[in-house]
Amino acid sequence: MTGPAILLLLAGLGAIAWVSARARALRLQTVARATGRRDAVHSLPGYHGWYVALWTLIPAGLFLAVWANVSPGLVTQAVLADPAAQSLPLDAFSRSAVLGEARAIATGLQSGAFNPASQALVEPYSAALNTYGVAGAVLALILAFAGGAYAFTRVRPDFRARTRVERLVMATLLVASLLAIVTTLGIVASLLWESFRFFSMVNPIDFLFGLKWSPQSAAMGYGNDDAFGAVPLFWGTIFIGAIIAMIVAIPLGLMSAVYLTQYASSTVRKWMKPILEVLAGVPTVVYGYFAALTVAPALRDLAVSVGIHGASSESALAAGLVMGVMIIPFVSSMADDSIAAVPQSMRDGSLAMGATTSETITRVLIPAALPGVVGGVLLAVSRAIGETMIVVMAAGLAANMTANPFASVTTVTTQIVQLLTGDQEFDSAKTLAAFALGLVLFIVTLLLNIVALRVVKKYREAYE
Amino acid sequence: MTAQRLPTDWKSDAMRKRIARRYGAERRFKLAGLAAVALSAAFLAFLLFTMMGNGLRGFTRTEIALTVDFPASPLLLDPNAITDEALANANLPMVTGEVAKKALGGDADALLSPTAWISIRDAIKADPKILSRTETIRVPASTAIDLAAKSKGSPEAEAEVARLKQQGVLSTGINWNFLTASDGTDPTQVGIWGAFKGSLLTMLVTLLLSFPVGVATALYLEEYAPKAWWTDIIEVSINNLAAVPSIIFGLLGLSIFLNFLHLPRSAALIGGMTLALMTMPVIVIAGRNAIKAVPPSIRDAALGIGASPVQVVFQHVLPLALPGILTGTIIGMARALGETAPLLMIGMRAFIATPPGGITDPATVLPVQIFLWSDEVSKGFVEKTSAAIIVLLVFLLAMNGLAIYLRNKFETRW
Repeated sequence: MTGPAILLLLAGLGAIAWVSARARALRLQTVARATGRRDAVHSLPGYHGWYVALWTLIPAGLFLAVWANVSPGLVTQAVLADPAAQSLPLDAFSRSAVLGEARAIATGLQSGAFNPASQALVEPYSAALNTYGVAGAVLALILAFAGGAYAFTRVRPDFRARTRVERLVMATLLVASLLAIVTTLGIVASLLWESFRFFSMVNPIDFLFGLKWSPQSAAMGYGNDDAFGAVPLFWGTIFIGAIIAMIVAIPLGLMSAVYLTQYASSTVRKWMKPILEVLAGVPTVVYGYFAALTVAPALRDLAVSVGIHGASSESALAAGLVMGVMIIPFVSSMADDSIAAVPQSMRDGSLAMGATTSETITRVLIPAALPGVVGGVLLAVSRAIGETMIVVMAAGLAANMTANPFASVTTVTTQIVQLLTGDQEFDSAKTLAAFALGLVLFIVTLLLNIVALRVVKKYREAYE
Repeated sequence: MTAQRLPTDWKSDAMRKRIARRYGAERRFKLAGLAAVALSAAFLAFLLFTMMGNGLRGFTRTEIALTVDFPASPLLLDPNAITDEALANANLPMVTGEVAKKALGGDADALLSPTAWISIRDAIKADPKILSRTETIRVPASTAIDLAAKSKGSPEAEAEVARLKQQGVLSTGINWNFLTASDGTDPTQVGIWGAFKGSLLTMLVTLLLSFPVGVATALYLEEYAPKAWWTDIIEVSINNLAAVPSIIFGLLGLSIFLNFLHLPRSAALIGGMTLALMTMPVIVIAGRNAIKAVPPSIRDAALGIGASPVQVVFQHVLPLALPGILTGTIIGMARALGETAPLLMIGMRAFIATPPGGITDPATVLPVQIFLWSDEVSKGFVEKTSAAIIVLLVFLLAMNGLAIYLRNKFETRW
């Protein structure tokens, strides 16, 4: 019997259990109420229905989940015990190849065998598959009936079905919220594990402080020792994400926030705020394409026409500029929040002393809002250095240590993509290096976020 | 002896100058703010304008009217027995080339798209009777001709276009192929349907996984969670997950889903699972805010008439918070729809020329398709990439518009 058929059958059984248990509870409660024992009725009939249905479904479902993992092993064992399996090759690799082919034929994925040895095993394979399939289905049905029958006998007016069902609901909610922890642990564990393997090949000191990045030469067998120096990548990341992008985003974002909150009429604000937010909603791949197609060539031509040497069509400036524009709404909304949190009395005080609006803003509001703005900028930096597509498409691959914005630099995220999307041999230092870079990126963004949130929180408390 | 302080003479020249200076600074500051807003908006306009300018051409194609004299052509087809097999065996690509050479002259292979024979096949399929007469069929032109006809191509192509225009065979038609085909090697034959279907399947998986888990987590944390160290850990995890760079989720998907659990590579299933992990924190945070906004009096009233805590939440709080949760979910899904980096990590950048049939088939998604096309050398891909970007932006705009509409329609101020 196939999997979907069993699941459908179980679902049908569950529905029958729900309907019949609800009907029974309804009848019993009518009787109980008719005899004047109103207080003896605890749960609504629907809860009895759910209680029985869950007892029908959950044990059988759990059993099927376990069975789906156990039965392939049992089937293989049964096939190996068959006389036809005596002629199997002894080494594990070709043995599993033959078994795999036999299984593919037996389940109908493949029509004919390349290896005659597999053809001989098809017969016992399908027999074993059939036996264990039927056994699993029968056991699941028995469990469903047993669970349903047990629960059905407990349907009585005074049975606390609602409490039981609600306990399960609460458990489900708890498990769902634990998934966030599991994900975090999964990220940390996978990054740590793969980085650990990387650092068993490459010295961590060389990785963190080395000045030469050329994983390609390491892959070609020139040794790992001085090929994985990540400092040029860190510099490129900081240069694009924390310097160029911020030079664009901080003034534009801050001034936009100031203008929209302090000067603009409500109509202008109503229209301009969503328009600025569209900037944050444009997918990064679109920005990347725009940077590579339009901005980068224009900047290169500009650089060449004013006579700058070493201008590349994959300049740090193009990636940084476009990334800065992407970050504007982020900085602006953080600045907006912090300026709004400054008490009105401070603003009024300054204006009453005869200061102009701009003097109030630059000498009172912004200094008072500074911690919040700084926190917002830190969050923006953490976002910029983790940004991938813009730099993959617009920044280069050359690991240069240069402060010339028209030259090509590379970043951590660019290299992660580059290392992992080429040929995939998973145990080489070249692919594992991507995870080490990922670990560094994760730690840095995490620290930036923690510091930023702490700064913002402290500052909020100061005015509350 | 104390010097008597004179009141400031505001009318003096020094003071007037000073006030003029201060007001000038005020005006300049205000202008700077206006300039910042205008510059940001101008950049957005420039971006959209560039994409539109390049991309709208991607929805049209240049066609050449090819006069085919079927009886005289070396085509061996029986008009009464047109089957797919017969058409496949008729060697239409070669016949098309010869017909084109005769009809158009010059280097006919360079004029027509490699897929031109498909138009002829479809025409025969639609009406087998044309095999007994001379018929004019519009076939797509090659990339070089297409570019030269629309904007600017190579000098040779421009010359060919001028010649064809003189013959009066050039026309422009809507490129339906772009909406129905999948990835290909030639810019004239590519389409976005494969990537679009991949995006739909991926979004479906993401929604089915992240919405229930996100809502359940939000309900638990907001309504039931006791104040304890482990609930703090949950909160911190969720806030951190919301700030982790997306590429890190790709690394997680690669090492856990692919290398550890051995799930099928490049599939919408893996893409959806990875994006679900990314979207879940967004839904949780939006959900918590929506749940927090439901006034406590509703809960108190329900509890007061005897509802259990679970009944209070599922029958009263959740329905009232649902519009807010849905808005957050749509915004999270829009973000996932535009996401590229994590999907590159899990192998969704493979060349896939057929639309995926299910969530375990190899698939690609719209943003990744845009990325792949942007890497192509052929100039004809520029307009295809921009056209795909327009499609993606239209969908994102529609989703965000829906979110805003939902918020405005169902938002309750308590």
